[in-house]
Amino acid sequence: MSDQRIFSKYRAYEIRNELQQSHSKKHRASATKRKNALKKIVANITLGYSSEMALLFPEILQFWPIEDDFEVKRICHNFVAAMAATKSSHLEEALPLIIGDFKSGSEPLQVLALRTLSSVPITSYLDECLKSSYALLHSNSESEQLKKTAIYAVLNVIQMDSKNAFMVTQLFFQILNNYKERPSVRANALYALDQAQERNADPHSSFLSIETCIELLELLPQLNEWDSARLLDCLTGNYLPVAHSDAHLLIEKTLPQLQHVNTSVVLNAFKFVIYLTNYVDFLKDGLIKQLSGSVMSLLNKPPELEFLVLRNIILLLLGREKPIINVDVSYFFVEFADPIYIKDTKLEVLYLLAKDDNLPQILQELKEYATDIDIQMSRKAIRAVGNLAVKLEQSADDCVSLLLDLLDFEVEYIIQEIVSVFKNVLRRYPGKYAHCVSKLVCFIDSLQEPESRGAMIWIINQYLEHLPNYLELIKNFTDSFPDEALEVQFIILSSVVKLFTKIPMPATEKICIDVLKASTEKLDSPDLRDRAFMYWRLLSISQQQQRSSIDMEAIREIIDGTLPAIALNSSLDPQIVEELELNIGTIASIYLKPVAQVFRLNKTRRLARTAAFNCHREKLDIISDSSLTNSPASTGLIHQSLNRRDSSSPVKKMNDYDRPAETINQLKSKRKSSSPALSLSRKPSLLARRLSIRRPFP
Amino acid sequence: MISAFFIYSLRGELIVSKYVKLSVQKSMAEVFRIQVINNLDVRSPVLTLGSTTFHHIKTTGNLWLVSVSRSNADSAAIWEFLYKFSVLLKTYGLDSETELKDKFMTCYELLDIVLEEGVPMDTELTNVAAKMSIKPLMVPDTFHNSSDNTGSGSDRIIPRSGLLKRRSSSFISRSSTNEQQSNIPWRRGGIKYKKDEVFLNVMERISILVSKDGSILKSYVDGTVDVTTHLSGMPVCQFGLNDALSVTSPFQDYPVGTANKNAIPKAAAGSVMLEDCKFHQCVQLDKFQNDRTINFVPPDGNFELMKYIVRENLNLPFKVSPIVTVSRSSSIEYRITLKSLFPSKISAKDVQLRIPVPPETVKCQFSTSNGKCKFVPEESAIIWKFSKYQGLTENSLSATAFPVRDVQSSIDQWSKPPMSLNFDIMMFSNSGLVVRFLDILEKEKNYNMVKWIKYISKSGAYEVRY
Repeated sequence: MSDQRIFSKYRAYEIRNELQQSHSKKHRASATKRKNALKKIVANITLGYSSEMALLFPEILQFWPIEDDFEVKRICHNFVAAMAATKSSHLEEALPLIIGDFKSGSEPLQVLALRTLSSVPITSYLDECLKSSYALLHSNSESEQLKKTAIYAVLNVIQMDSKNAFMVTQLFFQILNNYKERPSVRANALYALDQAQERNADPHSSFLSIETCIELLELLPQLNEWDSARLLDCLTGNYLPVAHSDAHLLIEKTLPQLQHVNTSVVLNAFKFVIYLTNYVDFLKDGLIKQLSGSVMSLLNKPPELEFLVLRNIILLLLGREKPIINVDVSYFFVEFADPIYIKDTKLEVLYLLAKDDNLPQILQELKEYATDIDIQMSRKAIRAVGNLAVKLEQSADDCVSLLLDLLDFEVEYIIQEIVSVFKNVLRRYPGKYAHCVSKLVCFIDSLQEPESRGAMIWIINQYLEHLPNYLELIKNFTDSFPDEALEVQFIILSSVVKLFTKIPMPATEKICIDVLKASTEKLDSPDLRDRAFMYWRLLSISQQQQRSSIDMEAIREIIDGTLPAIALNSSLDPQIVEELELNIGTIASIYLKPVAQVFRLNKTRRLARTAAFNCHREKLDIISDSSLTNSPASTGLIHQSLNRRDSSSPVKKMNDYDRPAETINQLKSKRKSSSPALSLSRKPSLLARRLSIRRPFP
Repeated sequence: MISAFFIYSLRGELIVSKYVKLSVQKSMAEVFRIQVINNLDVRSPVLTLGSTTFHHIKTTGNLWLVSVSRSNADSAAIWEFLYKFSVLLKTYGLDSETELKDKFMTCYELLDIVLEEGVPMDTELTNVAAKMSIKPLMVPDTFHNSSDNTGSGSDRIIPRSGLLKRRSSSFISRSSTNEQQSNIPWRRGGIKYKKDEVFLNVMERISILVSKDGSILKSYVDGTVDVTTHLSGMPVCQFGLNDALSVTSPFQDYPVGTANKNAIPKAAAGSVMLEDCKFHQCVQLDKFQNDRTINFVPPDGNFELMKYIVRENLNLPFKVSPIVTVSRSSSIEYRITLKSLFPSKISAKDVQLRIPVPPETVKCQFSTSNGKCKFVPEESAIIWKFSKYQGLTENSLSATAFPVRDVQSSIDQWSKPPMSLNFDIMMFSNSGLVVRFLDILEKEKNYNMVKWIKYISKSGAYEVRY
């Protein structure tokens, strides 16, 4: 086989020769040879040489009828599907062969044929596909597999050519509502219906009644995981609750699915429950506990799925004033081995979860991350600390003192990041942290990046009265003015003008004029030049015409007016939240962007307003289960014990688990040393000894 | 849902490509190679360009499994599918570049079975195997992987799953053997065994994070119960744990025929607060919701029955007490005691403590009371190993790390990554979880079932800061 490498580039004639050689004899050896040649065709199509392989269509057609090996059939069907886009004239010749396979009576072959028919966008294929599929779907005796294949085949056909769409959707409805049909077939018909709706131009219509909905939910135990996930997905939006009681009932029926091991089932069930909570008049606190618990346990999935779950947790936290899940921060502490995207996302969640009461715990963690080996991670942690200071007014002191502690590490990137975030803190609390400024200024030489340099200039300018040597500090920047990044140049420019208007004296005037000159004469950036001219003119107006309406005071007001207070925007637009909550678990939930912005094929989903719709969802009452008299005794018991657990054990200590050892091994006194250099030096001698034993000197 | 599916080798060679929708351009395979495989700075497992999204995972055999979707697809389903598919690849011996290149048609066959127009249909091994023309090379049987090291010896003689015996050679003969239909999608009718056996494997991973002052910042056990069933007919099984919330099971006595109860520590005699459990699709979830009983009709062969998390009342197996000081002579002193807290009758194996040293370290000196110790410069760590560690035993290590001269300042800034501990303990449960019973509810049939059970506790992220 070594000379027959399958995965390498072949010319069409090489494979043709090989096929013809083995064609003559009809025994076994030549059959395997022929199969190998055919495999090379598949491999070459994968490698991207499909136009070359298209030349072999006649050979494929030639072998098709005489082979009865299933693998060869699969290759032939794959080949036709791969050539579908070429509109080759041979496709018409292949059609009878495919139909032949469909009529062979063997189920796997029928499936294969049907899929091939639906994948070629030629009218004769599509018509044949529709005809065969109708026959399958209308009969009652066909196998589950065939029916499902037929459903997806016709779905594919109407997605390519919508002229039969109405008829097909009617057929799907029939299957969906046929009580005698197997559950899995019905579930897939529902999914196909949903997909067909997604494509057509009309707005989403909700076609499921409460009765159908309940009936479908009762099918769940008989469905496999994938069918269950899709069923729950389709219920969201396609069924409209019209009464509070309906919504409550369906929530009860859906909750068990949250225990499923498949993430897709859990998230789709979750989505459906969240959807229904828009139509209820109250929530039970047991529901919130169960929702939280089920999401949390998904965090032990493989990293990619964990990432998805974390992103959805962010969505749920951002979406509502009073989040519908209630989670503990310790779940989101970063682990050493977490991939970087998990670490990032966990940081975001920690930031969102931070409140005054759990802040000490979070700050302790962030401090650990800030000294992490990964520079990106450490920067993000510092940024998070700064943002927390802005977010939580009462605890800002703690955050600031942590930032000041971290400064003592004297690592360059840490300092730069701290300076950058400190600007926001100072803006948020004007004057409150003035005493920190003198410390920050000590690190002026470590600042390299434009962002931190810009922040530093701003800080100096804003706290001149606390810095006796401010002229020196400003000079530090103006001296290197021509070499700075453009954004820093802008900041320097406006700073020196501000400085001059604040303290008009010869020294500041000189600095100001120097910078204005440099920007207008030496540097090439037109934006910078224009801005400099603008400032210059403004200043000269006030200087020359004493009686002009613009005096120095007014200019100061223009240049150095009060800044608006900053607030971190940590909530999403309610409309976007509404849409995203209908898309939990999908790609859009990772990016937290409206669906239409990313995917042009998808429709925007909206919550429909019915009589039961809850307009003020922030005001939704959460009542404890025990107050409900109709809840069964057992669940009451469960939730009571859950409550008990929550209140216990704040922080555990390692020593609480300690127990006396039975054997204590004492340290051996001799110390061994290990270093790479030492172990190397030993080896040659060992080697020499062995050699000498084997081959004694003659 | 999935518009195209690719498998690449580690270096980015495309081996399998399946285009489901014609709207996916052939160049997409190239796009992924350039944007993700050849890009070293990828920080996300998902990539969206225009309205085309790539979800990808890497298999244990270093293959890239990639799904391309053109609409707002269900990411959860796609990643779950990719993981399930990687297990199938492994089962059919395709999980490496050379094997896959050799037998790539088998992979296409698998794809044809599990996907229908890019929508995942059924990934349960038993069902897939029944449709495949070749039989799986191996059963992903967790018993086999871990059985070689136990003392109990009972699980060495596990017969391979029944699906291996049924061979279906060519498709013509297969279609005629019309298997008995059942209304349960994960189990076919007409399964028969001479000897009915059930193997239960309770596997737990404990993760803790201990801070400098010895307080436990987080601790949890995530566990799975793997089951291999060789049962005839359509048995309805009921499974019981010492779940604190289960109202049906009495707490007083152990049922017969389960665990060697001496090996399970005292804490387990009580009950366990299961934080949340996730169940295999065969478990009747509504029943669990109402009265917390676990009833199921198992698929034939091996499957993961449930996953659970426990956070309260854990049995921590090891205590690590480190004292690390940076001395004036710019070296770092370590004094570490490691103490096992589980009963002395059982022992842990492959215990390994990883002690980070600053990356500038060139030489280490150490002495230990037991175990093997070595300095691994490429990982910047001292590794302290025990092949066997008895319960309730204390060992200590003292070590000094000498960095290159003149790096005093960088040692002060050394970030001190946490020490981490690895171990395996047989017949011990970190959470205290105990299987109380596994019964078959089918009364009319006189079931004579043999049950085997095994508990394994492993380390997850067992980290200690200092």
